[in-house]
Amino acid sequence: MRYYIGAEARLRRTIEDTAMSVFAAWSYEEVITPSVDYYDLFEQGMGQAEAQRGFRFTDNDGRLLALRPDVTSSVARMAATLLSERARPLRFCYAAPVFRQQLQSHAEWRRENTQLGCELIGVGGHEADLEVLRLAAEILSRLNLQYVITINNVEIFNGVAAHLELAAAKREQLRRLIDTRETAELQRFLNGFGNSEGRAFLQPTQLTGKHDVINAVRKTIANARSIAALDSLEELWTAIDSRGLAEHFEIDLSDVSSLDYYTGLSLKVFVHGAGTSVGRGGRYDGLTGNFGRAEPAVGFVLNLDALTEVLARRMSNT
Amino acid sequence: MITIAIAKGRMQDDALALLARAGVRVAEDARNSRRLALTDDSGKYRFIFVKPADVPVYVEHGIADCGVVGRDVLLESQADLLLPLDLGIARCRIVVAAADAEIMTRSLGMLRVATKYSQIAGAHFGARGIPVEIIQLSGSVELAPALGLADLIVDLVETGRTLRENGLTVVDEIAESTGKLVVNRASYQLKPESITELVRALESALSASVNGGHGV
Repeated sequence: MRYYIGAEARLRRTIEDTAMSVFAAWSYEEVITPSVDYYDLFEQGMGQAEAQRGFRFTDNDGRLLALRPDVTSSVARMAATLLSERARPLRFCYAAPVFRQQLQSHAEWRRENTQLGCELIGVGGHEADLEVLRLAAEILSRLNLQYVITINNVEIFNGVAAHLELAAAKREQLRRLIDTRETAELQRFLNGFGNSEGRAFLQPTQLTGKHDVINAVRKTIANARSIAALDSLEELWTAIDSRGLAEHFEIDLSDVSSLDYYTGLSLKVFVHGAGTSVGRGGRYDGLTGNFGRAEPAVGFVLNLDALTEVLARRMSNT
Repeated sequence: MITIAIAKGRMQDDALALLARAGVRVAEDARNSRRLALTDDSGKYRFIFVKPADVPVYVEHGIADCGVVGRDVLLESQADLLLPLDLGIARCRIVVAAADAEIMTRSLGMLRVATKYSQIAGAHFGARGIPVEIIQLSGSVELAPALGLADLIVDLVETGRTLRENGLTVVDEIAESTGKLVVNRASYQLKPESITELVRALESALSASVNGGHGV
């Protein structure tokens, strides 16, 4: 629960307007989705584990409803149903509050956050990935924030996990050890697999960086699925670099936090002054298929409340 | 400058000794003072000394970039942090102990468990389907069975002497705990050079002590 009064409310509005004007300049149409919808929508759109963090309640007829825990689910359904005949690609943006019950984490306790987000639906490949990355970078630059956007391709991990033939529980354990960079435990975990490809993740200080991260990991990874993902990530990096944006981007191979959702690119946004990430996104080619029309899609969200906090603190310090 | 939160108490001495071997030194008079925030000799690091349970809180909020804290505290807090290094210091075990070692198999009713670690204890017994009532204490947990407050305790054990002197024996070991370097997720991305430098320095200090044959 959070009030914004006077100057803070104006600042928050300015940030929202800045983001929405950048979206508009890139031909993203605003979309306003329902705040309350059937819970099923969000389970199909986010997966059960995430959707269950939504606030759920029942209608008079007993059907299960939820207060919107994300916007992407609604946009994906809309693209697959209402707009199935419209020419691709579709470009949509929004500024909308989402509601989630928070886990035990101390730092991200808010139940309500406003997402500034966009979705690019109907095109795959680097051009589309690059487009949303440039959009995110432009918004953050326009807000005069010092920022880093980390990028990864989740198929690098998926290829290694498939190569090791891990059962679901073991795969989750490996994912968690890489996500938290627990090198010593990871070493112990991998000892059971001989001289395996998982060793690529053993150097916590070499998983994050610029182009050289890819070269380093190529020495240990040999499965075709991961290599294809590495090639794809490298191509994307080259495109970022050629546009002079490399200083704001980092490759982070240990970002494996949402494997069930993303199918290729995954990204996280960090800004100086915020202790947690202030945005995330990626490619989710598997999502719209849940609503009857499978097609590539990529997008991201920024957390308006977190951005406001950083900029409000900066404003009061000067 | 990066800020490192260190758990006060035994961890503090071990951590500062390890940091000194890694080339991060704090002047003696500052170390012996009662100040809760210090800067190292190079001016690259600021140390803050806080209660162990508060280390994950400071680091998760990004007030401190890094922290040194026991695994026991991390398991209990469930904070979302990076754990790049096991420092091998302040080694101990989290155990289940009882006055009567057979109580686990003899009692079919609800066992009462006294502990400072209600999350860890709850998860341990929950995973085994053993019904327990957890009694949260903040210290001197070893007293609880003798005074009839609880049947079992879940606590940290270093040498086992306190347990023995209070007539308790270890029934089960839940986990081993050592000091970990924890890092805030945002700091890792926003200050990669400083964090990498610290991790590498600690890594080489750790491997030097292993190769030298001195246990840490």
